[in-house]
Amino acid sequence: MERVAGILRRQSIRRQIMGKQKEETYVDYSMIFIILFLLAFGLVMIYSTSSYGAYMTQQGDSAYFFKHQFVSVLIGITAMLFMSYFPYNILKQLSFPIYAVSVVLLIMVGPFGKRLNGAKRWLRIFGVSIQPAEIAKIAVIILTATLIIKLKKQLMTQKGFCVALGVAALPSFLIYAVTHDLSSAIITMGIGVVMLFISTPGYKRYVLAAFSVIAFAAVIVLIVKNADPSSKMNYRFERILAWLDPTAHASGRGFQTLQALYAIGSGGFFGKGLGESMQKLGFIPEPQNDMIFSIICEELGLFGAIAVMLMFLILIWRLMIIANNSPDMFGALLVIGVMGHIAIQVILNIAVATNTIPNTGITLPFISYGGTAVIFQLAEIGIALNVGRNIGR
Amino acid sequence: MKPRKTKNAQKFTIGMKKKLVVLFVLVLLAFIGLGLRLINITTKNGEEYEKKVLSQQRYESITIPFRRGDILDRNGTVLARSEKVYNVILDTKLLLRDPDFLEPTLSALQSCFGLDATRMGEIRTYISNNPTSHYYVVDNKREYADVKKFQDLTDKESETYNKDIAENIQGIFFTEDYKRIYPNNTLACDAIGFTTSDNIGLNGLEKQYNSVLSGTFGREYGYLDEDLNLERTTIPAVDGNNIVTTIDGKLQTIVEKYLAEFNEENKDKAHTGNGAVDVGCIMMDVHSGEILAMASYPNYDLNNPKDPSKLLGMKGRVIDHEKKEEDEKEAEKKEAEEKEAEAAENEEDDDSEYADVTGGADEEEEKEEEEKEKEKIPTVPDYITQEKLDELSKPENYEVLLENYNALWKNFCVSDTYEPGSVSKPFTVAIGLETGSITGDEVYQCGGSMEVPGWKKPVKCHGVHGAVTIDKGIEASCNVCMMNVARATGKEKFSKFQKIFGFGLKTNIDLDGEPIATHLVHSADKMDGSDIYTYSFGQSYNCTMIEMIAGFASLINGGKYYEPHMVKKIVSSSGATIKNIEPRVLRQTISEDTSKRIIQCCNRVVTGKDGTGGSAKPIGYTIGGKTGTAETSPRDKRDYVVSFMGYAPADNPRYLIYVVVNRANAVDQADAKFATRIVNKVLQEALPYLGLEMTEELSEEDQVKYQEFMEQNGYVQKVTEESAEGEENAENADGENTSEDEQKPEGEQKTEEEKKETDE
Repeated sequence: MERVAGILRRQSIRRQIMGKQKEETYVDYSMIFIILFLLAFGLVMIYSTSSYGAYMTQQGDSAYFFKHQFVSVLIGITAMLFMSYFPYNILKQLSFPIYAVSVVLLIMVGPFGKRLNGAKRWLRIFGVSIQPAEIAKIAVIILTATLIIKLKKQLMTQKGFCVALGVAALPSFLIYAVTHDLSSAIITMGIGVVMLFISTPGYKRYVLAAFSVIAFAAVIVLIVKNADPSSKMNYRFERILAWLDPTAHASGRGFQTLQALYAIGSGGFFGKGLGESMQKLGFIPEPQNDMIFSIICEELGLFGAIAVMLMFLILIWRLMIIANNSPDMFGALLVIGVMGHIAIQVILNIAVATNTIPNTGITLPFISYGGTAVIFQLAEIGIALNVGRNIGR
Repeated sequence: MKPRKTKNAQKFTIGMKKKLVVLFVLVLLAFIGLGLRLINITTKNGEEYEKKVLSQQRYESITIPFRRGDILDRNGTVLARSEKVYNVILDTKLLLRDPDFLEPTLSALQSCFGLDATRMGEIRTYISNNPTSHYYVVDNKREYADVKKFQDLTDKESETYNKDIAENIQGIFFTEDYKRIYPNNTLACDAIGFTTSDNIGLNGLEKQYNSVLSGTFGREYGYLDEDLNLERTTIPAVDGNNIVTTIDGKLQTIVEKYLAEFNEENKDKAHTGNGAVDVGCIMMDVHSGEILAMASYPNYDLNNPKDPSKLLGMKGRVIDHEKKEEDEKEAEKKEAEEKEAEAAENEEDDDSEYADVTGGADEEEEKEEEEKEKEKIPTVPDYITQEKLDELSKPENYEVLLENYNALWKNFCVSDTYEPGSVSKPFTVAIGLETGSITGDEVYQCGGSMEVPGWKKPVKCHGVHGAVTIDKGIEASCNVCMMNVARATGKEKFSKFQKIFGFGLKTNIDLDGEPIATHLVHSADKMDGSDIYTYSFGQSYNCTMIEMIAGFASLINGGKYYEPHMVKKIVSSSGATIKNIEPRVLRQTISEDTSKRIIQCCNRVVTGKDGTGGSAKPIGYTIGGKTGTAETSPRDKRDYVVSFMGYAPADNPRYLIYVVVNRANAVDQADAKFATRIVNKVLQEALPYLGLEMTEELSEEDQVKYQEFMEQNGYVQKVTEESAEGEENAENADGENTSEDEQKPEGEQKTEEEKKETDE
């Protein structure tokens, strides 16, 4: 705490010294605009996609999901504003406590978790459901950044690298072991890998790792594909079989994927018009969640879908600019973590919707329904904004 | 200053910046790849997927039932109508939203619709097995009263409303439907026919006019407009058209009353069973071919066509136990086949139907398939008793039961053929006169029989009539006289005129089930030597009742052959006339003169001292007609079809009645009185109703009888006054008619002369 107070004091002193520079504080308006646009667009799409299902399941309240998400978005914006003013250097000190809390919460999901739609991913604290996996992602970003700074040259050693990687690997393993949420596990791991990729020189090991992952996946796919249809393997890896041939599994695992493909394909170039989706009427289960992108395709067409993708691309680009111009390495690493998080999640989500990879439940950042996710993602953006604020200092 | 140093050391390096750019390029590539994938899906599979999406849509198109048109009699009395009813539908998912809904809803269903315990059990099982179902038919075709009772439970303004219960009655809704109702139950059952539960006509007018009576289903459906918006539209159902039949409900009632009375009087007389195998009666308007009444006995209830009690006493097919045993022994197959062949001869028409019905393989029989290839429930024609009915009612004999129902539902007047017997004698004379083969002044000697080429024994007459004129020949129904006339005519001319009278042809009456009878009347080239003789008195060829009455009408109406018809008018559901069906004269069969001569002859049948049809004469009316007594095949002098064709008034016929009694339940079946008595009673009641005035003064004895008859039938009339007035009117009517008759013939006499010339 002493150190925190010290940093705060130092900053205030600096402000006093360079009083006029306060006005030159860098604010990335284009990023703020994109974030607000995505949030507003997300809310519109959530209302569009969920109103039918909400009407059917929530006693005729067609705005049920919209209202919940709206509250989450307001909290998220508050969190973003707070974080954008919260000096990110303090996070260095808070990194371990945050990480510890997130790990504890993750473990608590095991015995105290709340089951929704057959998946045990939520914790209920003071009447509010939270998803610890979302907290773990931000915790991994902060702790990995802190460790990379701390380890410095040690990072180049095998041991140091493993320790840094272990920061992401632990919650990633916990997420998969406790909640069976493969997608969150992959994202968490991915964040750590991306941050390490940037902070260590050389490509060799990453290219090797990437190839070995791809080869491993290919071997699994081949084994599953040629396995005896009645074996247990077949049941466990049905999502892979459904990915290979969704029509053959149309009544099982392939259903959601197939319906999403129908939605994308039927949208055409300009789509059916906002709110005119037919696939959301009971065909795509919970269209406000993972498969919201397919409804965007159906309603707004290829044009709308690519526009949304461009928005994300610009967001990632802005994050890259902030990272590049970051006043220090810690800030840059934080922003890279956020950027990696958003990039991975968007790419995986769209890849799932288009059946490019097997179906894992991944939400589209800022757009898909999910309170914890949007709050913590906005908090991450807040950190990035805070880093950006300090550009040029 | 340490912190600053650290800060400098930990600046974001160029190498890292490069890597960051590499990362961004990777992300960019991934985005481009996904973008291409999206474009690929949209362009490659877009149309296919769009169709898939559309085909998946449940437009929830609802069919709106139409109201089937009414069938009315000629005076507007309803013979068949459709009433709106409701199907009770259960939405399980709605019902199971709250466990409190289940019991109150089920008990309300039970109390309002009177469902029994087993049905309730079925419903409960369905609910537990299908908790997400939206559509389950709880009950069909309930009347509005029941539905109202149920709705009252949830209607705040009704007396039975109870808030606690009402709120828990959930998940029940009603769909509209129509139910066919025949207000007079059995009345004109053969002519009207009935419908399936899907409103498809099965017999009679319901079948013949199915397309007219049926409307068009309405539809409530969703569709996609040009902007691919889902729109809902309702196309209302178009109700079917009504048909106004030529049937007079009152006459029909009278006819059926006496057919039933005949049955009551004669049933179980010689053997157990109905008064006759079949009794049929048709009344026709001679000057238009309109059928005024058409009935046969046994009848059935149109509202409940599968009422087994109606089968009792009917001659149908029952299980043949003897044959069953024989079959089991697998011996003497041939005998059984011979029997069948015999039966086929007896009821040629029936058999073809039976063959159709039993043709389909039966599930129950499949088990025994190994034992025998040719597996059919052996049946034998017999009168159906309660005991045999019980046996037929067993599930394994369902097909045989159905055969019997089909036989019951069949319209005897139109579908059954028989040998007409002496009723055809006026035709023989008319052909003779019309072709000029006889002058009408011939006198033949009847010695009681006549030699016929090809027959070993001479053909017998009913008696020894001595010297017989043409008129006497018809009056006394002399076979020898008729054979002589036919011989003088020759088979070519005779056969040609049989066709002109419509024998062996369909009448094309607008009723279902008329058989093709071509093969039942031999044409000239197929007639063997004896056919012309037997044809002359109505044996060896077959016809239907409707054929006979349509032909006979032309004999007595001046030679105009009207196509017999049942429907006068087609009226839209709103009451506008869509089509008037006018009487159709198909051809001139004989000249007016010949027609007059035939009337003269036939009047003697009823009034003459040797007349065979005196018993048909109703009190106070002079009528004409012809009796018929025909042997059935095989000619074992046991089974007879007796009939009477009568018309009134005698001198200017307007109404024609034809009664056929097929194998009366009597030791001596060969008595035309079975038929004439029915005609007598029907006409006695029908002629005053038809507005015909009495043509004869009543003797005191007659007056008493008439009084008795009228009182018996519920008429209270002062006979004397009525009869006095009647005479005057009758005279007037006669006067008018004769003048008409005199005006017409000139032209037709010419044609007759021309004909004679060509014939010679």
